Amino acid sequence: MEADTKSQAVAFDRRQVYRPFLERLNPIAVPRDLLARDLIVAPAHDPRDAAQPPIHASLATSAELTRGIQIAVVGGIGSGKTTELALTHKLLKRHADAVSIFLDIANYADLNELNTGAILASMGIALAVYQKQRKSGSEPTGEAKSAYEKLRELAYGTTQWIDPDSVEPEPMDYDDGGPDWVRVKVPGLIKLRLPALKREVKDVKELLHRIASPLLEADAQITFLIDGLDRLIKADRFREYAEQDLRALRGTKITVIVAAPLLLWYDESRFLQDYFDVVKHIPAAAPAESAFLVEILERRGALELMGRKEIASIVKYSGGVLRDLLTLARSSAEYAYHDDQDRIGRQHVRAAIKQLGNRYLAGLGKTQRLRLKQLASNEEFRIDDPTSRELLVNRQVLEHFSNGREFFGIHPALAKVLPKSV
Amino acid sequence: MTEFSATTPFRLVRRLAAVGQDAPSLYLLICDPAEMDAVLADMAAEVQIQLGLELRAIAASTLRPETLEALTEHNAGQFVVIALAIWLPELISSLDRNIVLLTSGGAVALLTSSDIAEHVLISAPNLRNRLTDVLVFRPDEVFGDSRA
Repeated sequence: MEADTKSQAVAFDRRQVYRPFLERLNPIAVPRDLLARDLIVAPAHDPRDAAQPPIHASLATSAELTRGIQIAVVGGIGSGKTTELALTHKLLKRHADAVSIFLDIANYADLNELNTGAILASMGIALAVYQKQRKSGSEPTGEAKSAYEKLRELAYGTTQWIDPDSVEPEPMDYDDGGPDWVRVKVPGLIKLRLPALKREVKDVKELLHRIASPLLEADAQITFLIDGLDRLIKADRFREYAEQDLRALRGTKITVIVAAPLLLWYDESRFLQDYFDVVKHIPAAAPAESAFLVEILERRGALELMGRKEIASIVKYSGGVLRDLLTLARSSAEYAYHDDQDRIGRQHVRAAIKQLGNRYLAGLGKTQRLRLKQLASNEEFRIDDPTSRELLVNRQVLEHFSNGREFFGIHPALAKVLPKSV
Repeated sequence: MTEFSATTPFRLVRRLAAVGQDAPSLYLLICDPAEMDAVLADMAAEVQIQLGLELRAIAASTLRPETLEALTEHNAGQFVVIALAIWLPELISSLDRNIVLLTSGGAVALLTSSDIAEHVLISAPNLRNRLTDVLVFRPDEVFGDSRA
């Protein structure tokens, strides 16, 4: 009985050792909370060019100096796009008249069922809510209020009760002896670069403009930071929203900074580079950037629980993917806790690497393994090949940028567990 | 099937207790399909004893994309386990795109078979990247844990 009491007391103590560390390492924590706790390490420069300012500083400068600019931040899953948007959001607050709204579309709408105009409507609603909650400044005008109500109706739909007798019946289809008209489209000489705006998008744009007007007339700097659309893996869906919702904002002096899916960076059509005024790419951090990754772990308290060798190992096998960096550190801590150890040892880090590698290994078929083998043998990694693109989207292959050169590599945690034979 | 770390309901819940059940986390849990009900019952007991919480088990087949938000709104004080007994590609695609909604309310787990887990890992890259861990349930005896 006495022994039981003692072991419970020890377990309780160890929990207090690991719990704060694990809380700081949550790879899916909300960046806003992390910023408030000063747990985010801001990069010192652009990941593709050490001579350029960091992405968030560059984004904030563009938004401040060129109102109405449209910027895409593109990168793989877990590369730190949301963090860059959060840092930009924080930086934009340095000017009192800045109206900066961070919008994760998934919090407003189901990304599966999104219609064109829905993103624009979400922006309008968020702007109206912002104006309502603002402590200082004038009250929203009557026109802005009515635009908000109409926008809500358009966005969420309405239920109306009507007298069935008041509904005009549909005219019967009858043969009046006249000709049956058939629609024939005669193509013009000019192929439009972008499709025409849809009617519902124009309607929403008008309402959003009425909500924004008081702010724009006061010369306010309005910036929307839109996250979540990068989770639309298929490039054509993202492109559709950009061509409709974002294009509707052209000429309104409302700035948009949007996270975009990685595949668009490699899309043959070069839509991203053609449509957006500025495109910023966040590759997986190259090995040369390991000091930045070490700093991230140190900021989260890694040195309290592990040595520099363990930290270096985690950095190496994260492949420079920020979320994997945190996942590895966290898993290592959990393995050490399971082992009833007060510090994270090499064996715990090894177990965490194996576990992450296995996650990337799951479901790899013969063709994928062949592509990985070719990549490991320094053969060309053809991004126009569907299997290669799939490997890149799934982060089994990572894109790096170093010394002015883009290159691909197998995720090191996957490489560690990948069987030698195909 | 890829080899993942083994666990038991007791060990998993102990781990949740260490991390804190309010922290957003997402687990992919693998078990023998024939054992799914038994595993859920064991987990419910452990969640009750170790965390003082209620385990909310939801059959994935009853979920619709439009109900995801309701799922996360109500999981304060609950540990949500989504039991995925059959492969539902549309639901997994929906979870993948709306993954932030799923994890916003605290700890959530997907419980499924090894074959379906492999499908999930292949077809849902956003979800995979946000997984806290992938664990396989093994009998307590393998670890020398007592079921008493």
